Amino acid sequence: MWELIIDYVGTVTIFVAVLYPFLYLKGFTRNSKAFKYFTCYLLIIGLIQVSMGTFKLVTMGDSNLFFFVYYFVLQFTMLSLFYRELLGYKWINIITVIVLLFIGYQYVAEPSLYFKYNPVGSSITQLTIVIYSLLYFYKSLSGKREFLIVNVGLFIYLLSSLLIFASANLVLHDSFPDYVPRLLSESNLVLYFILQVLIVIEWFRNYRVIKKVE
Amino acid sequence: MEELLGSEDEILIIILIAIGLLVLMSVAIVLFFYFSRKKIIKTELEKANLKISYQKEIIQSTLIVQEEERKRIAQDMHDAISSKLNIVSLNANFLTEDGITSEQANKFGEGILNVTTTVLESSRRIAHDLLPPTLQKFGLQPALEELCEEAGVSKSFEIQSDLYYEENFLGKDEELHLFRIAQELFSNTIKYASASVIEVSLVSDVTEAIFNYKDNGKGFDLSEAKRVKGLGLSGIENRAAILDAGLTIESSLGSGISVSVIVRKTR
Repeated sequence: MWELIIDYVGTVTIFVAVLYPFLYLKGFTRNSKAFKYFTCYLLIIGLIQVSMGTFKLVTMGDSNLFFFVYYFVLQFTMLSLFYRELLGYKWINIITVIVLLFIGYQYVAEPSLYFKYNPVGSSITQLTIVIYSLLYFYKSLSGKREFLIVNVGLFIYLLSSLLIFASANLVLHDSFPDYVPRLLSESNLVLYFILQVLIVIEWFRNYRVIKKVE
Repeated sequence: MEELLGSEDEILIIILIAIGLLVLMSVAIVLFFYFSRKKIIKTELEKANLKISYQKEIIQSTLIVQEEERKRIAQDMHDAISSKLNIVSLNANFLTEDGITSEQANKFGEGILNVTTTVLESSRRIAHDLLPPTLQKFGLQPALEELCEEAGVSKSFEIQSDLYYEENFLGKDEELHLFRIAQELFSNTIKYASASVIEVSLVSDVTEAIFNYKDNGKGFDLSEAKRVKGLGLSGIENRAAILDAGLTIESSLGSGISVSVIVRKTR
């Protein structure tokens, strides 16, 4: 029963990941810069998910872990831009460059990292975004702000999944039985599904009707 | 092997517990922000409502004052002008009749002349009360000097004035508000206070104009007066609010009244 639900959720997340960028694309030109960055983020993540799925189908189960680096680096870049718009802090640019340089250095120093999870890199990027998200919560205390629901989703997902990605290399080790990484990826799936639901709710509540630019 | 498996299970459990804790923590933080936000918005709403009701009150009392003023003007015009003009009209009617002697005509003409003189005087006085020409032509300080002079005519009290005001320190509208406040204070003193000394001072320095008014009359209970909104106090308060001025009114039974208005220079 549980397996079935998880399977179902897994399929749904891929479908949603492909479909909701189109929901957001509908109002692309008429909305704020933050909205545009967020739409790009959704597009990129959707693209990576589709590529991962196709890659798996074509190569019949080769490791698709090298997609992971694109996933977390691009996610970090797009969300940094997104939060720079929402928060209006210029120093976010500097932080982004520093973190990206550090990750680049990691891969130069140890090229084999490309085919593994990168726990340090992904944790740093996710933690940075979580801090931005926290700052945005604080900013939203006074008055109405856009993307509050998405902010909730990103905050919960990125903070909770931080440990999942960080421990991935450990549990993928041969000495661990199969069900350990599976359980972790399933919990990641559930958390990710919650994020997707919140993103769709955000669209439904605030961007379904295209507002005129003020 | 089994032992090893056991330790890996333990690691899994620890990881799962940690993930669970992270989820819990993030949800708690989200909830915390959500409820704080709600509370902050609620208090801001209350503040805004308070401001609105205060403004409503000001508008209401302004309307009441306006109506009273209209009534007073109508009364003045009726008493001082309309009734007198009736007499003129009646006299003029007699003049048009046939068979009156020149002596009678002279008498009627004289009557008409007398009445029109008083009507002219009355209409000048009414217009003067409505908008003192001195204020328009010469500014606030001469207008206040004139006000003191007029109030002192009755000799029932002594007026000590100390006016040092740089002309055009305040805008025309602001000067008018300040003048009205002074007028209201004078009329209150004359009507109710039976004071023997009135002190008036107006000083303008670099950033603000300070107006002080003091009498040694009966005084009144301030909280009571505020409650009934009588004595034109609300009018004074409203004008001070429009001027964005600092207003202090001090009074108690038997100790007269002391009012100070501090207006900041806007330009």
